[in-house]
Amino acid sequence: MWNLYLPIAGNSINILLLFGLGGVVGFLSGLFGVGGGFLMTPLLLMVGIPSTVAAASDSNQIVAASTSGTYAHWRMGNVDFKMGFLLLVGGVIGGTFGVQIIKGLRALGNADFVIKMTYVLMLGIVGFYMFMESLQALRKGKVMEPKKVEPGKPSIYVRMIQALPWQMRFEKSGVTFSVLLPLILGVMVGILAAIMGVGGGFIMVPVMVYMLRMPMHVVVGTSLFQILFTCINVTVMQSITNHNVDLVLAVILLVGSTLGAQVGAKMSRRLHADQLKILLASIVLIVMVQILVSLILSPAQLLAYKGGH
Amino acid sequence: MMLRLSRGGKLMVAVLMFGLVLGLAGAGAAAAAAPELRLVPNEVEIGSFFEGARVELQGTIPPGAAAVVEVLGSTATEELLRKGRRGGLWMSVGEIKVHNVPSLYLLQSSSPEIPALTGQETPWGFAALQRAVQLSGMVAAGEQAKFFNEFLELKKHERIYRVLPESLKVSAGPEGASAVRGMIPLPAKVSPGKYQVRLSAVQDGRLLQQQESRLEVRMVGFPAMLADLAYQQGALYGILAVVIAIVTGFLMGFLFKGKTEH
Repeated sequence: MWNLYLPIAGNSINILLLFGLGGVVGFLSGLFGVGGGFLMTPLLLMVGIPSTVAAASDSNQIVAASTSGTYAHWRMGNVDFKMGFLLLVGGVIGGTFGVQIIKGLRALGNADFVIKMTYVLMLGIVGFYMFMESLQALRKGKVMEPKKVEPGKPSIYVRMIQALPWQMRFEKSGVTFSVLLPLILGVMVGILAAIMGVGGGFIMVPVMVYMLRMPMHVVVGTSLFQILFTCINVTVMQSITNHNVDLVLAVILLVGSTLGAQVGAKMSRRLHADQLKILLASIVLIVMVQILVSLILSPAQLLAYKGGH
Repeated sequence: MMLRLSRGGKLMVAVLMFGLVLGLAGAGAAAAAAPELRLVPNEVEIGSFFEGARVELQGTIPPGAAAVVEVLGSTATEELLRKGRRGGLWMSVGEIKVHNVPSLYLLQSSSPEIPALTGQETPWGFAALQRAVQLSGMVAAGEQAKFFNEFLELKKHERIYRVLPESLKVSAGPEGASAVRGMIPLPAKVSPGKYQVRLSAVQDGRLLQQQESRLEVRMVGFPAMLADLAYQQGALYGILAVVIAIVTGFLMGFLFKGKTEH
């Protein structure tokens, strides 16, 4: 009872389990502005979904969660469409480069090493930096918005970005800088996301907070807006080339995740920016440790199916 | 009332009667000669609520013999990733292709242990499977057995390769034969296709007889429709998936908006 057959995954899975998984990951998505692919895909593998189907169907599910989340954040005035669009354009260009890099690495035979190391390093650096920064801010008990730059002593980074041409005002985020900056950062995140095989939300969020100096609440909404388009692209491409989007699986997950995303978006409004950051940092660090452990411990089986992250 | 027939009519009736008698006799002789292997049902349908299926097996074997049943899926080549250490860390280091691999392998027997043949290679079991399967790619000549075992572990873990001793019942049957009964447990992961079911009768390490039957697994209804769309109209399927996701996302947004405003 409560089991449904998933025609593309070729397996029968409990509906309530999938609904619950969708709810939890959707909640985190609405709360932190991440797609949650780095959590969902391994969870789906654990319940018996083939890795390629898990990754493709997850991107379909993220389309719904990020639509729901973007809509909720847009109503609260938290989406910087101009910034989101520039990051998206950069992300698409970077993603195309990243795919080529991975192809080259596969030909050389050490793609997996690069993917795994990029994963651990990115998660480690991002998680640790965000954790320490928010912890300090929470300890001091001050309301810290990273966009405020000390007026007297601009850092090298600030001087560099001020020197770039085509300065533009981003009203929603309350920042002014060159259109090139979000484009370049978008390209960098796009390359990393393509190498790691993820949407890149958990890299994009810290980039927006620390490098684009946007307020945390606008970051979450804008990140979701950008993830929405990335995942629409992935879903259609996967359906055409690999035929591994399981619509039944995606629909059950997305009913859960859209509900979760709404709750998460509301919760994000109630929490302080530093509390949000420290929570996200903790999840990122836990995932990093889990990957690191799987790299160090001898695996139970020496053969595995292809695909997935 | 007597029916009066012409000469030609009488001849025709005689020919028909003779044919009927011959036919009946032939059918009786065939039933006695060929032992039965029946599968109920012999067609399994995968619908929306499919959770695996149990197929009933009925057969006859000579008295005193043990029964062995093999269920084999169609064969293909599988590409798998080999894990190894790089810089002290475990990761995928290359591909191994496993050729001639059945999509399902179930082995059942009536005895507590799977019977083996003496004086010749046993044609069933994982050892027989190993003889039929070839490994290529990132696997050295001396590693073939090790990685075949790894491959088996992967399949056994998924429960699509299973050995089930004592899962068949043998009892006294009609005309001095033994009746074999059992259930073939098809997992939820069984893929659509044709399956071969082979019943062997073994006594004192000798193979007495073998019978074969076919089992078909088909996807029907909504899952079949969706799978057809996904494989034949990929673009349309992808767009449909995106539209469903966006509409649900918005719908959920509207529902929550209503709740928060009141």
